[in-house]
Amino acid sequence: MGIVYVLNGLYFSAFLFLTSLGLSIILGVMGILNLAHGSLFALGAFMAAWVIGVCVNAGPTVGMIGGFVAAMLLAAAVGFVLENTIIRPMYRRPLEYQLLITFGALLVIEDLIKLTWGGEAYYASGPFDMMGRVNILGGEYPAYFLFVMGVTAACGLCIWLFMARTKLGIMLRAIAMDRDMAEAMGIPMRKLTILAFMLGASLAGLAGGLMVPTSPALLGIGMEPLIMAFIVVVIGGLGSLKGAVLGSLIVGQTRSFGVGFFPELEMPVLFLIAVLILVARPQGLFGRA
Amino acid sequence: MAGGIKRREFLKGTSMGALGAGALSGVGLVSGAGAASKKEIPKGPVRIAAVSFLTGAAAAPFGIPGDNTFKMMADVYNQKGGILGRKIELKSYDEAGGADAQVKLARKLLMEDKVDVILGYISSGDCKAVLPLSDELGGLMVAYDCGSHELLEGEKSPFKYPKHGLGFRSAAHLGIDNIGMALMIKKYVPNVKKIAGINPDYAWGRESWRVFEVAMKKLFPTIEVGVTLWPALGSTDYTAHITTLMNSGADIVHSSLWGGDAVTFTKQALGMGLFQKTRMAYSRGEPYPQEIGAEFPEEQIICCAGTHYFLYPAHDRWPLNKWFVEEYYKRYNKYPTYPCYHAYQAFAVYKAAVEKASALVGGWPTPEEISAAMKGISVETPSGYLHIDQDHNGREDVLVGFSKKVEGYPFPILDPKRMEVFPAHMVNAPAGIRTEDWIQSWKV
Amino acid sequence: MGIKGGIWVRGVAICAGVVLLVLLRWVLPSYQLILFETGLCFGIMGLGFNLLLRHTGLLSFGHGAYFAVGAYTVAIIGRYLPGLYRMEILLPGAVAASAVVAAIFGFVCVRHTRIFFSILTLALSMLVFALLVKLYYLTGGSDGIRAPIPSILGHSFQGMRRPQFLSGFYYHFLLAAFLVATALMYALIHSPFGKALQSVRDNEVRAEMIGIRVRQFRWMAFVISGMYCGLAGGLWSFVNGHVTPEVAHWVFSGEVVYMTLLGGFKTFAGPVVGAVLFTFLKLYAISGTEYWMLIIGVTLIGLVLLLPSGITGAMASWAARLRSLGTRKI
Repeated sequence: MGIVYVLNGLYFSAFLFLTSLGLSIILGVMGILNLAHGSLFALGAFMAAWVIGVCVNAGPTVGMIGGFVAAMLLAAAVGFVLENTIIRPMYRRPLEYQLLITFGALLVIEDLIKLTWGGEAYYASGPFDMMGRVNILGGEYPAYFLFVMGVTAACGLCIWLFMARTKLGIMLRAIAMDRDMAEAMGIPMRKLTILAFMLGASLAGLAGGLMVPTSPALLGIGMEPLIMAFIVVVIGGLGSLKGAVLGSLIVGQTRSFGVGFFPELEMPVLFLIAVLILVARPQGLFGRA
Repeated sequence: MAGGIKRREFLKGTSMGALGAGALSGVGLVSGAGAASKKEIPKGPVRIAAVSFLTGAAAAPFGIPGDNTFKMMADVYNQKGGILGRKIELKSYDEAGGADAQVKLARKLLMEDKVDVILGYISSGDCKAVLPLSDELGGLMVAYDCGSHELLEGEKSPFKYPKHGLGFRSAAHLGIDNIGMALMIKKYVPNVKKIAGINPDYAWGRESWRVFEVAMKKLFPTIEVGVTLWPALGSTDYTAHITTLMNSGADIVHSSLWGGDAVTFTKQALGMGLFQKTRMAYSRGEPYPQEIGAEFPEEQIICCAGTHYFLYPAHDRWPLNKWFVEEYYKRYNKYPTYPCYHAYQAFAVYKAAVEKASALVGGWPTPEEISAAMKGISVETPSGYLHIDQDHNGREDVLVGFSKKVEGYPFPILDPKRMEVFPAHMVNAPAGIRTEDWIQSWKV
Repeated sequence: MGIKGGIWVRGVAICAGVVLLVLLRWVLPSYQLILFETGLCFGIMGLGFNLLLRHTGLLSFGHGAYFAVGAYTVAIIGRYLPGLYRMEILLPGAVAASAVVAAIFGFVCVRHTRIFFSILTLALSMLVFALLVKLYYLTGGSDGIRAPIPSILGHSFQGMRRPQFLSGFYYHFLLAAFLVATALMYALIHSPFGKALQSVRDNEVRAEMIGIRVRQFRWMAFVISGMYCGLAGGLWSFVNGHVTPEVAHWVFSGEVVYMTLLGGFKTFAGPVVGAVLFTFLKLYAISGTEYWMLIIGVTLIGLVLLLPSGITGAMASWAARLRSLGTRKI
């Protein structure tokens, strides 16, 4: 049965990876800890649940694909607005203003969700039910969980190819390495910053969308992903793709085995790991100082 | 079995309750009686604050049905002339924001807005934080849905009661669900060897498990207790918990998960094959077969928070339930669920207590006089008679059953052949005795 | 106006302010007075927080942890050692406990600056939060613990309702604690220690060169700051009557940053003004509308974009502009 713990850990890691990558990029490239990042996850969850509900007659496959795409688009659009209105003026401002303005955005988005979708929980379990179960090593496992892992792996691969092989990706990495130097080299900062922000936002939106077939969308749902992604980024390192992968895996497996073997202390242990890594290597395992 | 539970303390407790109900020898009432003729009933409306979850996970399954019922009853009572001729002015508030926010809100309601009574609270955590404010601020509060048994019990037996002079809970506490399930297991699954638990990590979950564990250990002295898991309220991923439960080797897994959490857990557990390994015992499982539908597994133990089930009490034998179900359906196009019954109970108890106190002392009674009248009162409700005992706790029977697919329903219902109603005296500790101590004193 | 005259004016103004605060007990309705007391508690915390932000240049996003330690010290003594539930034990206990925790956490934190410092303080406070939630049998988990009315110097307030206690004697007790804490902080930042801290903030290398042990000074500032939070938490626990882990969550720490910025972190009085205003703003937003987060959030964004120096900062600059206008005319 040990393998199922590993699978559960991987499933949890999938959400962590998608959520934390955006947080990590924004922190690494722009140096801003975006406290409203969890709200993008929540927006994705509500959007996907709503679309799946609307498309219920068109069949679960259409609803699911439509829901996930809509979740990504909405999160990217909100990311675009956020970057252009409140985050851009913050790049040269002191840290306390950066943190507070994203905190303000978190509060505003939370209430905008309430205004749009009301206070009730949204269920959209169609895709989960549709996919059924598969047999793995003598036990049953929901196919949807494997699907989530597959989607996440594909996203990770695409982003890696984008960062490593395309010109835009290389320019992004240059900004993360040395912002002033990159600007001096004539890299179009404005466009790239928006691009990075929207990319990170859409991944968080996708994570929210992927969650919704297994658990309802409801108010305040963005808080836990934010804090978990925060731990991942702290462990993996700011702005590092490798770090996001490794951090997600560490947190996912710790949680899975933690629930199995020390259920009373699973949450404190995660924070303890984060603190220990911060103390020893404040820039995280793969981050640059 | 039943004889074992019916102990002398219990008899004493009920007889005292009955006496209180009949004679009303409350100090406040006696001293106030002299001034009865001079007191008047104010012209303005009675101001009632209703506090339930209107947003978040608990809104759809509990808060909104409860709040709907408060509104409906205010309307129904107003059509019949309100309370003692005063019109009822009901205002709804959101229970969201955590215990701290609720403490602040209750303070504002009683000190600044000066409402006559607060009917409210679904979360046990909120109840524990807020109910002590009743005496601190001198305002009347009736908790309607929260289940924490420690809310009105003392640290050790026998304890001094009532714990709060002006704080009540109109429904019975979680003891009835968990003791009822243990009795059910004793009767129908006597060969159980090992139990495990998954409960939300706050007062409700922790106390539900404790009462269940104590009762099971008393009824099955050799029972083995496996893993106990405490997911946070509102968790979205239970996979790690489910695997752990599947590996625990437990025959029965106890759970007091509710609302979205219960649905999420059950769906993920269905996907991972938990129900082929073990049987669940849901202490508040009544809404979930409907919520999940035909897929919901058979043979699971399900409890109904009292006797609030849409097929019980039968409408031909209890017209008030028929009226209630029809009236609620007419207004909201849904059938009432147990929070609706709880909301009815709180409202009815308050109204009856005001009227009773006024009949004795005249005029509009003070909070202390209403409290004295509420203690020991019995009222008719859609799910039977409700009795408020001397410890300010409601007393109810409890209904437990097994899920079963029956023709004519698109989801499993409670198997009509094995539905058990345990009467209040079998599942409620008498006033002044802690629930755990009372269970320990059973003669099995 | 000479310097001497300035001191006189200031002295009279402060005395008048103190008298006004003392009289507030009979002016405000008891509900408002209790809200004001909550504001004063947060004000004490803001003073401690600003010692780090304004004078040491460190932004803590986890000061709720030390506030929580103070509040829980009171609540846990009340629950397990009711014999010691006396104000003269509780408050020193709260301050001492938060000093110990702040000393340990601070030792780790001050090795870093800038965002690393903020992230580390955030993570540590979430560790405290996680422990408070998970150690159910000690702390009551997310339900928290009640904090009854304590006895003060042998005088018990038994039979008294809390609003009576809070709007009576306790208000003056709290006010006295607040004034003493404020005076001490004022003295501290104008002492050589305070000046040394500022030199560290302005230029770390230079400060090191002139013989200031940077890390040790930061650490001491951190511990003092934590003690202020512990004092605030202890005093607040009686006002609130109930202690929950929420005060250790980063959102509460964020609110403290908000209060300080609202008042203006560049002035001494800023955090206090901000704390009182924020307390009233939040409560009236919550009780006035379902969409209170929108109000708080929009206010916050507006503040950061339009009024970066906070209310006291803006007032000071307006005053300066008025004065310069006046002199120009003459």
